[in-house]
Amino acid sequence: MKRFTFFGGKGGTGKTSCAASCSLSMAARGVRTLVVSTDPAHSLSDAFNTPIGNRMVLLERNLWGLEIDAEAEAKKYTDSIMEKMLHLVSATIVDEIRRQIEIAYMSPGSEEAAVFDKFIELMESAGKDYDAIVFDTAPTGHTLRLLTLPGILGVWIEHLIEKRQKARKLMEVAARYDRELAEQLKEDPVIEALSARRDKFELARKILTDSETTVFHFVLNPEKLSILETDRAVGMLGKYGIPVGGMVVNKVIPKGAGPFLDKKRLSQEKYLCEIRERFASGPVVELPMLEDDVQGMEQLRIISGLMGAVC
Amino acid sequence: MEKIKNTLKKWWRLFALFHQGAFLDRRMAVVRKEAFDINDNLMLLLFGDFIGIPNPMSYYMLELLPLMADELVPWERRIQNRKFILAEKAAQYDFDT
Repeated sequence: MKRFTFFGGKGGTGKTSCAASCSLSMAARGVRTLVVSTDPAHSLSDAFNTPIGNRMVLLERNLWGLEIDAEAEAKKYTDSIMEKMLHLVSATIVDEIRRQIEIAYMSPGSEEAAVFDKFIELMESAGKDYDAIVFDTAPTGHTLRLLTLPGILGVWIEHLIEKRQKARKLMEVAARYDRELAEQLKEDPVIEALSARRDKFELARKILTDSETTVFHFVLNPEKLSILETDRAVGMLGKYGIPVGGMVVNKVIPKGAGPFLDKKRLSQEKYLCEIRERFASGPVVELPMLEDDVQGMEQLRIISGLMGAVC
Repeated sequence: MEKIKNTLKKWWRLFALFHQGAFLDRRMAVVRKEAFDINDNLMLLLFGDFIGIPNPMSYYMLELLPLMADELVPWERRIQNRKFILAEKAAQYDFDT
């Protein structure tokens, strides 16, 4: 069992049901498990048939649920900055700053960043209240952005630190005959803050690329588009060194389901072969198409029994 | 004897002061200007969205605001008052005289 298990894939393939079932079977084995949804459009509550929100909720023995609320997280962050500002600077500057914070709050990417922060926080505190986390991620594009963020921003922030250090070095040269200036230059909180941020990204990158602790399972349907998208996503994760686990093929039509569905089954058969060929490196699990939607503990438990190979 | 010593000391101090003003301060001003320029560029990277340049991580830059608030207003004034960068650079290296 890995400490961090991700379920990803194209929209509507059944990621949430798989993540929920997987977390249930982990909890049943006595592992204190947290199941987290990073999708802005949460559906974890619907799968468990219990309201889950931005706070950890006990769902069963050893199992907690959480739906990350990007907006609330961003608000918390900006409020804490505003708090610091108020007893630091003059009133006119505070107005400027408030404007600046509003711009950043609206800018694209801020919600992702907020989710990402929460995401790091959860991974850091694993081992305290819970031992394993199962992530129900958003559809492929959003998740790939989220997971590759540390690699990209790490480089950027490194560049900023270098620039600041260069400026400081020059100032130190200029301050050689100016004691007052030299006194001001003793420490730089900006470099400290940037370094702390960089270290956080580095930690996230380390956790995400460590195959000992992390695994990313894909959920797909036996359909052309689903396979193609998964294939691209696998390539992308490989590029950033995130370990890919197994494939969960959901909604496979069982035998003897009537003439129309039997025909559909034949086409699925072809795609199932393709999936086994393309993604031969990990286990492939097949889940049958069910008569009814998957909802509530009982049905999730049935599915978790079928997912033994990946979780 | 004592008088000559004092006079010499006084002249030496004036001599040193003249050279500090004439050469050293000037040189240090160049270094200092360069440092400010680099820092201004950095500010542009950090808070560019303030003046309309999109920033991929403006959200993360917010936490630097309390630390750099004092630098922010003079920076904004400086970049808004820049008229002719070439002339500014020329002045820095004494090409304009």
